[in-house]
Amino acid sequence: MERLFLDGAAFLYLAATIAAWTGVAARVDAPPRLVSRFLALGAAAHLLSIGLRSAALGDIAVASFADALSFLGFLLVVVFLVVAWRRAVAALGAVVSPLALGLTVAAVVGEGRAALRPLPPVLDSAWFPVHVTLAFLGDALFALASSASLLYLLQERRLKMRRRAGPLRHLPSLETLDRLNHACVLWGLVLLTLGIATGIGWAHEAWGRAAWASDPKLVFSLVVWAIYVVLLQGRMVAGWRGRRAATLTIAGFAVLLVSLVGVNVLAIGLHGKAF
Amino acid sequence: MDRGIVLVGLNHRTAPVGLRECVAFPNGRLESALVRLVELPGVAEGAILSTCNRVEVVACGSDPEAIGGRLPGFLAREHGLAAEVVAPHLYTHRDREAVRHLFRVAASLDSMVVGEPQILGQLKEQYALAAAAGAAGRVLHRCFHRAFSVAKRVRTETAVAARAVSVGSAAVELARQIFDRLGDKTALLIGAGTIGELTARQLLAQGVGTLFVVNRTFERAIDLARELGGLPVPFERLGRSLPLADLVIGAASGEGPLLSAAAVGEAMRERRRRPMFLIDLAVPRAFEPRINGLDGVYLYDIDDLEAVVADNRGARAAEAAKAEAIVDAAVDTFWRWFAGLDVVPTIVALRERAEDIRQREIARHLRALGPLDARQREALEHLTSAIVNKLLHAPVSTLRRHQGDAGEGCYIEAARRLFRIGDDADDAGED
Repeated sequence: MERLFLDGAAFLYLAATIAAWTGVAARVDAPPRLVSRFLALGAAAHLLSIGLRSAALGDIAVASFADALSFLGFLLVVVFLVVAWRRAVAALGAVVSPLALGLTVAAVVGEGRAALRPLPPVLDSAWFPVHVTLAFLGDALFALASSASLLYLLQERRLKMRRRAGPLRHLPSLETLDRLNHACVLWGLVLLTLGIATGIGWAHEAWGRAAWASDPKLVFSLVVWAIYVVLLQGRMVAGWRGRRAATLTIAGFAVLLVSLVGVNVLAIGLHGKAF
Repeated sequence: MDRGIVLVGLNHRTAPVGLRECVAFPNGRLESALVRLVELPGVAEGAILSTCNRVEVVACGSDPEAIGGRLPGFLAREHGLAAEVVAPHLYTHRDREAVRHLFRVAASLDSMVVGEPQILGQLKEQYALAAAAGAAGRVLHRCFHRAFSVAKRVRTETAVAARAVSVGSAAVELARQIFDRLGDKTALLIGAGTIGELTARQLLAQGVGTLFVVNRTFERAIDLARELGGLPVPFERLGRSLPLADLVIGAASGEGPLLSAAAVGEAMRERRRRPMFLIDLAVPRAFEPRINGLDGVYLYDIDDLEAVVADNRGARAAEAAKAEAIVDAAVDTFWRWFAGLDVVPTIVALRERAEDIRQREIARHLRALGPLDARQREALEHLTSAIVNKLLHAPVSTLRRHQGDAGEGCYIEAARRLFRIGDDADDAGED
């Protein structure tokens, strides 16, 4: 049943992607409202799928790689919908929809390999849902910041080239995108910090210091953390913004993706081995 | 068909502003003019649209030819002008074309600035006046309501109105793509020329918060700043105010550029790289082109802005085609309804005519038949009615069947001619 909902979510994300990109291709002036509706429906189906799976598991279902991707995709859509509800950034749908679609399809495909597996007893603690929710929400915010950065780079290039025609006419303003980047990175960093802290606390309790200190996931996360700290610091102190901020945001997210995929696929470290 | 709609008027394309002023109807006079309009012979319904760019009279009634002939005189008389003064500037649209024209006006496709939204509001007000004065009836009520819904569809379904088509509005459009909001932004106008002033006005109208005016002659800067509600800045202090400016409009040229890349780079450092939008309207150019290479600085010269405008005009032509299609479809729908009104009266007239003939023939032949009893009399009525009804059945059902299709007009016309309906000389040679 949860599988059906996951498929449904993937289809709705596909519909959102198609709606967003036909909007772009048809050069309509505003992105179709349909995009947000499809995404909202998709997120609802996605939530049901995750909920059912978690209920069957008895804990929040993010332990397998597929589940992790699925959870991230879900959070990304939710974060986008919340932001798009308050600000005129509907055009971001054209980036967020395919990203959510990709994550969800990867989850659908990957699920065959990872049947429901309960957590190893050593990890079964209250730390777990707190740690993963914080960490993934942080990841989702960084994903949204990167989507905004991508649009920023497109819009900036267009304005610099003075090439005004074309399908990208109604991107959000540079300032809007830059502010969104700032807000997402700031909150993402707060959540990532808490995610890392809870992760360390939890691992320390389960395995002791020697185990977590050399975990590759932690190392990667600290790199991501450092990149975003530098970015925020630069913004506050040296007035970094615009293109430089956008590029750095995307770089940080690339490292994050490498850690997410690499650690899980190569199955290294505590995050890899445990699940 | 002898019922029709006629529209006679003049607009910004056909008449100079001096004449448009003379024939405009000020609000207070519109009501009485409407009353006089519907008192014209043959005019059943009427409405008047009067704005600074157009004055148009719409009338509906039988014999549209005659009405069309009377409206120019009406327009001239209302304003105490000689008909010859007004006549050369007038256009006349009849029937479908009149409806189409009205729809296009409502949708702002016929406006001087295509897509400007005020015309719809004016049209609504003046229709309300015509309705209140009892001048607009069934046909015009429907016609105007259709016009309003066409305008709404054109606005929501096409981007006719959305594009900037002047240099100033192109600058505004670009500013909106760089800045989130304009209220907390500062503009710096260099030069006191007309085009710079117009652009500054447009930016202020869009909500730009603060305006600095710099000019070589400080007095002119003071004057212009007072007029625009800005702050005058002495020319020597241009460099000092530059870091404060989010938008810079260059409208003065001299020997060598007013702003060098180095100066703007310095200003960018000082303003912590917040984006800066430079609009160079001067020829020769006031800002060094290299400035566009600086990070976070967007420099558009007059040619770039003209290109934006041309691009928008092109895009708007495509949108206008969409809008015209919406208008066409609405005209068709309206006209089907309007012409449909005519099938029913034709059938009624046909029946009346047949009944009239039947009654007259009975009366004529009763004398020859001599006295009849009630049953015989009833049989005679039945016999004649049956013949008339059977004869009329085919033409009536044909008319009904073709109601609303392409051949409708032909059938109505044919029926009216064959049966001599609405022809005053019809009885000649009958008996």
